[in-house]
Amino acid sequence: MQALRSLRPLLRRPPQPWHRQAAALAAKRPEFPEQLDLNNAKILRVVEKKVAERANLLKSVNESSGHNDIARSKQLKELEPLKEAWDDWSQTLQLLNETTSLLHDADPSMRALAADEHAELTTKLQAYLTHTFPALLLSSSSPTAHLHALLELKAGVGGSEAALFLAELLRMYTRFAGARRWAAHVASANKTDEGGVKDAVLEVRSAGAYEWLRWESGVHRVQRVPATEASGRVHTSTVAVVVLPLVEEAEPSPADDLFKMEDVKIEVMRARGAGGQHVNKTESAVRLTHIPTGITVSMQDERSQHQNKRRAFQILRARLMDIRLTQEMAQRRDARRSLVRTADRSEKIRTYNYAQDRVTDHRLGLSLMNLESVMEGNGLETFVEAMRERHAEETLEMMLEEP
Amino acid sequence: MNLDAMVVRRARGEPLQYILGTQPFGSLDILTRPPVLIPRPETEFWTIKLSEILVPPAGRRVSLLDLCTGSGCIPLLLCRLWPSGSVRAVGLDISHEAVQLASDNALAAGIPAASDAANSGENTFTPVLGDIFASATWTSPLLQAPFDVITSNPPYISREDYGKLSLSVKDYEDPRALLGDLPDSEEQRGLSFYHRIAQLISDKRLLKPGGLLAFEVGEKQAGDVRRIVQDKAGIRDAEIWRDPWGKERVVIGRS
Repeated sequence: MQALRSLRPLLRRPPQPWHRQAAALAAKRPEFPEQLDLNNAKILRVVEKKVAERANLLKSVNESSGHNDIARSKQLKELEPLKEAWDDWSQTLQLLNETTSLLHDADPSMRALAADEHAELTTKLQAYLTHTFPALLLSSSSPTAHLHALLELKAGVGGSEAALFLAELLRMYTRFAGARRWAAHVASANKTDEGGVKDAVLEVRSAGAYEWLRWESGVHRVQRVPATEASGRVHTSTVAVVVLPLVEEAEPSPADDLFKMEDVKIEVMRARGAGGQHVNKTESAVRLTHIPTGITVSMQDERSQHQNKRRAFQILRARLMDIRLTQEMAQRRDARRSLVRTADRSEKIRTYNYAQDRVTDHRLGLSLMNLESVMEGNGLETFVEAMRERHAEETLEMMLEEP
Repeated sequence: MNLDAMVVRRARGEPLQYILGTQPFGSLDILTRPPVLIPRPETEFWTIKLSEILVPPAGRRVSLLDLCTGSGCIPLLLCRLWPSGSVRAVGLDISHEAVQLASDNALAAGIPAASDAANSGENTFTPVLGDIFASATWTSPLLQAPFDVITSNPPYISREDYGKLSLSVKDYEDPRALLGDLPDSEEQRGLSFYHRIAQLISDKRLLKPGGLLAFEVGEKQAGDVRRIVQDKAGIRDAEIWRDPWGKERVVIGRS
C-alpha cells in the first residue's frame, strides 16, 4: 500500500505519444474481469440527491445569516459525513478512470502497477457501495439516532409467574445495557411479595439506545414449570414490553412542542391532612393526565414529589414522542407503500422455552439454543442486532424506492 | 448503619428523613438532623414556584432574608435555581443546631457564605444565629436592611394543634420550629411570628419599597396572615397560593 501510494504520481504523468497506440492494442484482451457493480447505482442517486440537498441547505443557512437556525445547522452536521464520503468516492472514481487508461500501457511494469492500483481502487469503491453509503444514509436520515430509551414492562397472563419472569427480563435488559456501558436505571418497579415485579420502568441513558432496543416492543412469552408449581406442569405466561423514545434532558421547560402545559392535569395522590409543618410523612406520589390523549402517568418511586413529577413528565414526553414517531412511520408507509413495519405491541414477538433451552424470535424465525446466555444479556445481542439490520435494510429499501 | 437498626428506629416512629439523613428538595439533597425541622414538600413546591415567577434582573444582585431558616432549604434552593451572582441570601434562626445544619447544607450545596466569597460573583448564603423577638438581633451587621426579598416558613402550629400532632413530628422535631406562639406569650392561634415579622418590616424597614414578602402559612391561616401583612407590613394586593394538595399555603405580595 505504502509503496503504491508513493508511486501514484507516476501513474498520473501526462500521456505520451506512444501511449494511445499501446492502449488500443491492449484493449483487445480485457485483463480485469472484476467490474464495479455500477448497476447498483440506485444508491448513488440517493446519495447524490442528499448531497445536493445539503448544498441547498448550506446556501439557505448562509443567506439567512444572523438567524441562528439550530434545526438546520444540526441537519447540516448530520449530513457532513455523507458529503465527505461522496467527495472521496468521486475522487476515487476519477483516479480509477485515470488508472484504467494505463492498464494497457506499453510498459509491462507500468501495466502491473496500474493493475494493482485498479484492483485496490475497485475494492474501495465497492466498499462504498455496499457498506459506507448504506450506513451513512441510514444514520443521517434517522430521526431517532440520538434518542435514549425507556422500557415499560407489564406482567400479562400468568399472575405471579409472569411477575417473576418480568423480574428476570428486567435483569436481562439491565445487563445488556451494562455490557454496552449504557447507564440503565430502574425508574420504578412494582414488586410482589414473591420476589416478582408486576410492572417496571427501565430508563436507559445513552444516545442510540432507542435505536437498538426499540424492536423489543411486543409480547414476550415464557414457557416453563414455575418454581411454585408442585405438579410439574408447564405454564405459559407473558410480559408486555413497550420501548419508548426518551428525549435528552436539559429542556428549557417541562413542556415542548409535544404538549402544552395547560393540557396536563397534575394530581398528588394522597391527602396530607393539614400538611405543612403538621406532617412529616413522605407522601410524594404524583399522577399526570394528558387531557387530549387521555394518557396518564403515575410515579411514586422517588423520594420527593418534585422528583416524581420530573420523572412522570419524562415518561409522558416519551409516550407522546412514541405516538408521534409511530404516526410518522405509518404516514410514510402509506405514502410510499414501503415495507417498513411498525411494531405491533400486541404481537407475540418472542418465546422463552425453558424445557427446550430455547429462545425463539417469531419475527425473525430465529431460535437460539442457549436460553441462559440470552437471559444473561449476551445472547440478546443476536436478536437485537438481527432486528436492527432488518430494519436498516427495509429503511434503505424505502429510500431507494423514493422517486 | 445497618438495616435492622434503621428499621427499629423507624418502627419507634422516628421520621424516615432523620434515619436516612437527607431529604430531596428540588434539585438539592438537604441534610436532615434532629431536631431541625425536616423540609416539607409543600415548601419545596412554593420555593420552586417562587424561583420561576421571580428571577433577579441581570446585572443586579438582590438581597434575600429568610427568617426561621431551619435547614436553610428555602434560600439554598433559590441560590441554586437563580443565575450565578444574582442573589446574596441571609438566613436567621434561633437554634444552634439549625444554624450549624444550614451551614453544613450550604457547604454540601457548594454555596459559599458572603465572607468567603467576596467579589467572587457567586450566589451566597450566610446563616446567622439570632432571635427575631430580641431587638439586639437587628443591630447585627450581617442583617443589613432593607432587603429585596423576605421569605419565611416560621413556626405556625397553634397550641391546640400541637397537642394533636403525630408522635413522629412532636417527639422528634424542635418545638421551636413548630409552635407558632411562644410558651410565655398570649394565645394567638399560631400567628405570633407573622405579627412580629410584619411589625419588624414596618419598624425596622426590613423590606425595600417594591420588595417581595413570601410567607408559608398553616392550614386556614392564609386569610389572617394576608390581613396581618396588609395592615402591619404595608403589603399591597397580597396573593394566596395553594399547595399541590389544594391547601392555602403561601401569602405573597409586594410592599
